[in-house]
Amino acid sequence: MKKMLQRGLIGNIFSHLYLSILSLFAIFPLAWILLSSFKGRGEILGDATSFFPKEFTLANYKNVFVNLNFMTNIGNSVLVSLISTLLTVIISAFAAYGIVRFFPKFGKILTRVLITTYMFPAILLAIPFSIIMGKLGLFNSHIGLVLLYLSFSIPYAIWLLVGFFQTVPLGIEEAGRIDGANKLQVFGYIVLPIVTPGIVSVAIYTFINTWNEFLYALILLNSSDKMTVSIALKSLEGQEVMDWGTMMAASAIVVIPSIIFFMFIQKKISGGLTDGSVK
Amino acid sequence: MANKKFKLNKMTAFLFILPAIVIVCGLLIYPVLTSIFYSFTDKHLIKADYEIVWFSNYIKILTDKNFYVAFFNSIKWTTLSLLGQVLVGFTAALTLHRVKRGKGLYRTMLIIPWAFPSIVIALSWKWILNGVYGLLPNLLVKLGIFEQAPQFFSDPDLVFGTLVMINIWFGAPLIMVNVLSALQTVPQEQYEAAQIDGASKLQTFTKITMPHIKVVVGLLVVLRTIWVFNNFDIIFLITGGGPAKITQTVPIYAYNMGWGLKQLGVASAITVVLMIFLLAVCFFYFKLLDKWGKESE
Repeated sequence: MKKMLQRGLIGNIFSHLYLSILSLFAIFPLAWILLSSFKGRGEILGDATSFFPKEFTLANYKNVFVNLNFMTNIGNSVLVSLISTLLTVIISAFAAYGIVRFFPKFGKILTRVLITTYMFPAILLAIPFSIIMGKLGLFNSHIGLVLLYLSFSIPYAIWLLVGFFQTVPLGIEEAGRIDGANKLQVFGYIVLPIVTPGIVSVAIYTFINTWNEFLYALILLNSSDKMTVSIALKSLEGQEVMDWGTMMAASAIVVIPSIIFFMFIQKKISGGLTDGSVK
Repeated sequence: MANKKFKLNKMTAFLFILPAIVIVCGLLIYPVLTSIFYSFTDKHLIKADYEIVWFSNYIKILTDKNFYVAFFNSIKWTTLSLLGQVLVGFTAALTLHRVKRGKGLYRTMLIIPWAFPSIVIALSWKWILNGVYGLLPNLLVKLGIFEQAPQFFSDPDLVFGTLVMINIWFGAPLIMVNVLSALQTVPQEQYEAAQIDGASKLQTFTKITMPHIKVVVGLLVVLRTIWVFNNFDIIFLITGGGPAKITQTVPIYAYNMGWGLKQLGVASAITVVLMIFLLAVCFFYFKLLDKWGKESE
């Protein structure tokens, strides 16, 4: 018995050691972004291995907002992501419910089509998208970008939401129908409140994905006043003198909202990737 | 009368899924068909005119050495990244599952990479590994491990491994979280029963844990394989396929053809070949799904 306890203790020590090392590795880039963003130019270029900023400065952040006009890019990203999220949630919620309740057989085929589209490489769609958007006159426009974002966010959202809608017991809906509610009323007043947590998760996940998106924004947007944050960050890199402090400050501004939102939903989203496909 | 009402009912039901169908047709199926069409033309990125050239784009890429190099790179990139992600993600999940204290904190820290936008992944690692001002190369010199600062992104011997490491850092959390939630579905009584029967840890793992999480892990690996194979951002933003095309995968090759050389027709042909390959994988995936579905019923 004593021997077993000892073995358990050693196992525990190793477990904590392993997890600590992995955690350190996982958070290090974030920590380094933050630490670097508060360092002055001299320290960034002069002392590569100093860990904490010797002189704490906000100059990099000031540079990001004042000289680079990053607020415009943040505004663009918020706008594009919010509208994409809103449209995605509305269209997908109706579709997922419709599939679960009215077209379960067709739903199986549709789900497979959706999973298949999920496997399309973004670069495959990028080529026709750039041509089609040009023809529609939506090149370098936020409306065009929102449309492109719907192409990947809606299939995934439907897939996740189908899983949530399947948990709603049919009996509750039938009770509503007997009371004289029509399809839309049953959906709005009975079903939606039950799946609200699922919808919120899907909304946040869509927001993060569109906020983080890079390739479609790259091929569609070319003027700096239209650029979203990821493209604006990329264009900083192209400048002649790389100002790492400023780039890290801008990176911090982009990555922190993603991480915060992600923390809220990670438990709900985690299973979705594989659950939805098993059902 | 009853028949008419039934039809009306069917109509309103159809309205629920109509917008999604429009989106899927307009933004997925139609563009893919367009892409297939352009793969048979000499479409240029900027010029509006084009001519049908039939299979000459396909002949061009299938006789281009760079295509095969890119394809091989994609396979290498996917295999190494996946192996690392599964190894790290799986062991992290198993370890996390057994610890009692600090579980939430570890979990929170470990999933942070998953939330990173690709551009920030690229910039942060480029900064940490920067050959002149970066922390790690300078630290390695200071510690006496290297005489000169290692050039992680321009040294042909290091660059591929560096990208794979970054991809493992990014992708392991997703595997970990999914395996962890699968582990939590294994009924506790079965573990207790195994303990009473005196089963070893290894036996418990292979006889109880694995059968329960097999399906989830299998699906996850297939989905991630396709995702990593398709990944464009990480490599594009860090090396752009360089140096000397060492890290050029198929998506990067297609991008350089379409936007670098402005030959959209050829680029379309590359992506169509890529799609055919992935559809074959997809077909295999659905077959597997059906088989497992029957087994678990």
